[in-house]
Amino acid sequence: MSLVDVLNVTKEYANGDETIRPLDGVSLSIHEGDYVSLMGASGSGKSTLLNLIAGIDQVASGEIVVAGTDITKLSRGKLADWRAAHIGYVFQTHNLIPVLTAYENVELPLLLLPMSAAERRKRVEIALEAVDLTPRASHYPRQMSGGQEQRVGIARAIVASPTIIVADEPTGSLDDETTEQILSLLSRVNDELGMTLLMVTHDADAGARARRQVRLERGRLMENGKETKATTLRTA
Amino acid sequence: MLKFIPYVLKSLWRHRARTLLTVSGTAIALSVFCFIGSVQQGLLALTSGANAERTLIVFQENRFCPQSSKLPQDYERTIAKMPGVQEVVPIKVFTNNCRASLDAIVFQGMPAEQLKSARQLELASGNWNAFDQQDDAALVGQDIAARRGLAAGDKFTIGDVSVVVRGVFRSPVAAENSLIYTHLDFLQRARGANEVGIVTQLEVHLADTADPDTVSKQIDGAFRAGPVATTTRTKGMFQTDTLGDLAELIGFVHWLGYACVGLVLSLVATTTVMSVQDRIKEHAVLQTLGVRPLRVFRLVLIESLVLSAIGGLLGVLASTAILSTTGMSIAAEGVTIAFEPSLVLATQGLVVAIAVGILAGLVPGWQASRTEIVPALRHA
Repeated sequence: MSLVDVLNVTKEYANGDETIRPLDGVSLSIHEGDYVSLMGASGSGKSTLLNLIAGIDQVASGEIVVAGTDITKLSRGKLADWRAAHIGYVFQTHNLIPVLTAYENVELPLLLLPMSAAERRKRVEIALEAVDLTPRASHYPRQMSGGQEQRVGIARAIVASPTIIVADEPTGSLDDETTEQILSLLSRVNDELGMTLLMVTHDADAGARARRQVRLERGRLMENGKETKATTLRTA
Repeated sequence: MLKFIPYVLKSLWRHRARTLLTVSGTAIALSVFCFIGSVQQGLLALTSGANAERTLIVFQENRFCPQSSKLPQDYERTIAKMPGVQEVVPIKVFTNNCRASLDAIVFQGMPAEQLKSARQLELASGNWNAFDQQDDAALVGQDIAARRGLAAGDKFTIGDVSVVVRGVFRSPVAAENSLIYTHLDFLQRARGANEVGIVTQLEVHLADTADPDTVSKQIDGAFRAGPVATTTRTKGMFQTDTLGDLAELIGFVHWLGYACVGLVLSLVATTTVMSVQDRIKEHAVLQTLGVRPLRVFRLVLIESLVLSAIGGLLGVLASTAILSTTGMSIAAEGVTIAFEPSLVLATQGLVVAIAVGILAGLVPGWQASRTEIVPALRHA
C-alpha cells in the first residue's frame, strides 16, 4: 500500500505571455518506509513536486493523496493543520527562527499539536539526542555552525513523528564533511526510526544514498529507465 | 495561542531599539492624551454636577475679574430672606494673577463658621482651633501646598498678602485643593486696604425645591436700583463665563487628544509593517511547519497590541503619577481648573491604547497571513 500517490499532476507557471509547465501529468507512488531521492537538472521542477507533496504549493490539475487524504482539495487552513500533523520539512538553508534557541526551534511544530508540556519536552529531548545536539539545546542559530543548524532543522522535522519527511536540497549549502554527516543522519532517520523520506538533490552521490532514485526529465518522472506510475488510488 | 507568546516577545526584542522607540513614543502620546483628558475632566467638574447647578454666584454686573467686583456685604441679609434660599456665604477673592496661569494663587476669605459648613474640607495637617484663633491664619489646599512646599506653621507671602499656614486640607472638589482659605475680614483689610463690608461675590445655596433661574432673576431684580447692580448665575454658568476663552481653548484641545491617538496608530502600524516586511520568509517557514494563516494574523496582531498596550500602560502610569503628585491646575479670573487624574481616565487611556494596537495590526497581520509560501521561502 502506498503512503503517497501523486496522480497525473500538472503544474504551470505564467511567465509573461509564456506558460511554463515544469510538471506535465506526472505520477508517483511512495510507500511507507521508503527513502526516495528526486533528482534532475536545475529548474526541472523537482523542488516544485516536493512542495506540492508537502502541501505548500497548488497543482494545476491532478491529485496528491497522502495517507488517504487528497490534499489538493483542502482549504489553506486545513492544509496548514494537515502539514503540522503529517509533514516534516527540511529546508536547504535551515530556516531556523533566529530568536528561538535550538530547543525552542525543535519544539515549534509540537506547539501546533494537542500535546502536554511534559510530552513536548520528552519529544524535543529525544529529537535533539537523535541529531547529537543535546549540549547545544540552549544555543541560538547564530551561535551554531551550518551543519549544526541543519541538524536542528532535521530534529525539527522529525520531532512530531510526521507521515513523511521531505528534504529540499538538505546538503546544498554544506561542505563535503558536513554533507556526509547530514546524509548519514537522514539514512539513520529512515533506517532506525522507519520514517518515510523524500529528498530532492542535484547531487548524484547524495541521491545514490536513497533506496529509490527518481529523475525528473522534461516534465516526466523516470525510475529505472521507465516512467513512474501511481500504484493505488485512495481518497478520503 | 499562549504557547506562542514567548515567540512574540522575542520577536519584539529582536529589534529592541525600534521597539523601545515605538513604546516610548506611544507612552508620550498616551500621557499627553491623559493630560488633555484630565483638564477636560477638571473643567467638566467645575461646570456640571449638583454643586454647579444648585449653587448661585452673585457678582457685580459687567465685571469678570474678582479684583473689580465689589458688592456690599449686607446684600447677604436681603438675599437670605428670599424664598428658596437656604444660606448665603460672603466671599472675598484675591488672586495674584487674573490672566490664565499655571501657578496662580487664589485666596478666598470666608467667615470661619461658614467655611466649615459650606465646604467639605478634611484637614490633613494642622487644626481648626489654630485657624479660628489667628486673624492671618490660612488653610491651604493640598495641591498648592505640594506645589509650593507649604506645611502647617509656615509663613507665606504673595504680593502684599502674608498669611500663616494653620492647616493643609483636602477636598472632594478637586479645584478647591488649589485654593487658600482665610478669614473674610482679614482679606478685606489686606494689602493696606479697608474693604470691610465689601465682598467679591455672594454664594447662594438653594433649597431643594427652589428653581435657580427664578431665584437668580429675583436677586438681580432686587438690586437693579441699588448702589451696585448684580449678575446672578449658577456656579457652573458663572465658572464657564469666567473661564471664557480658556474654556474654549480647552474644548479645542480635545482635537490634540485625537491627534495623539492618530500618532500612536501610525507609529505602531509603521513598526508592525516593518516587522512583517523583515520576516516574510519567517512567516512562510511558520506556515510550512503548519501554522495556520489565521494564527499568523493573530501573532502579528498580538505584536502590535503588545507594543501599543505597554506604551499605553507606561503613558497612563506616568501621567497619573505626575497628576497625582504635582497637583497641577490652571486658573483664570480667580477660578481654578484642577488637572484631575482618575480611574476612568486611566481606563480610557488603556482602552484607547489597546484599540489602537489592534487597529494598527490589522493590515500588516492580513498581509502576513496572505503570504504565498513558496515565493516567500525564496525571499532573501
